[in-house]
Amino acid sequence: MATTDIEELGRLIAALPPTPEGWVRAAQELPQVRRGLDDLLARAEADSALRERLLADLESTLADAGIEPTRHVLSDVRERLRSP
Amino acid sequence: MEPEPTDAALVARCRSGDDSAWTLLVERFSRYVYAICSQGFRLGRHDTEDVFQDVFTRAYENLPKLRNDDAIRPWLAQLTRRLCIDHLRDATREVPVEELEPDGMDELIETLDDALTVREAMARIGEPCGDMLDRFFARDQSYRTIGEELDLPAGTIASRISRCLEKLKAAMEDSEALVSPEVG
Repeated sequence: MATTDIEELGRLIAALPPTPEGWVRAAQELPQVRRGLDDLLARAEADSALRERLLADLESTLADAGIEPTRHVLSDVRERLRSP
Repeated sequence: MEPEPTDAALVARCRSGDDSAWTLLVERFSRYVYAICSQGFRLGRHDTEDVFQDVFTRAYENLPKLRNDDAIRPWLAQLTRRLCIDHLRDATREVPVEELEPDGMDELIETLDDALTVREAMARIGEPCGDMLDRFFARDQSYRTIGEELDLPAGTIASRISRCLEKLKAAMEDSEALVSPEVG
């Protein structure tokens, strides 16, 4: 990078404004959420009552398992439940 | 102060299952991905959030397949561009794909790459300078707000920012010298 001009430095700092905190946190929590979901879905495969609960009331079942049912988590789980 | 890990070191740690490295990787590149979606493609807030989460989800899933750990930055840029285009294509099926990417995207990415390099230098100069420069330039906070939040007299903020910029400039010059040492 060529510039060490003070004004240009200010402009470049401004070029990367902060991302909404909640978005960053959700992305950072991805590994833990993934592990929680993998565990829950593995249990649901062996436990038909749990699978039925997931299908009937996904949000509450996820929340009960300690997984925050965000829009992206819900969409991910729905997709995984649909796949054979 | 412990030096920030390189991109390659961070990727290697993520691949070995180190959650704290993933946290740092998201922190390092979140503004970059956000800027490509919001400034480059001018997506609305809702669409930007969708693409943002999708980028990091796919990055997490595909990190083990990354051939060159040093290439995480261009890889993320490319992934973000592709997902923005996919998102726009879903919304506007009648528009040809090649028209979905706004003009000047390569130049914007180049600017954002430079901005990330400046961020690396900000991390090296440490606090409170990094925080103060971020508040003033990126968060657009007034001298008064910065003074209140950092518990400093508002009248001293302008001169502190000026000194921090000089410090940043020196850090940038140092890194330039490391990248291209003078011969002779």
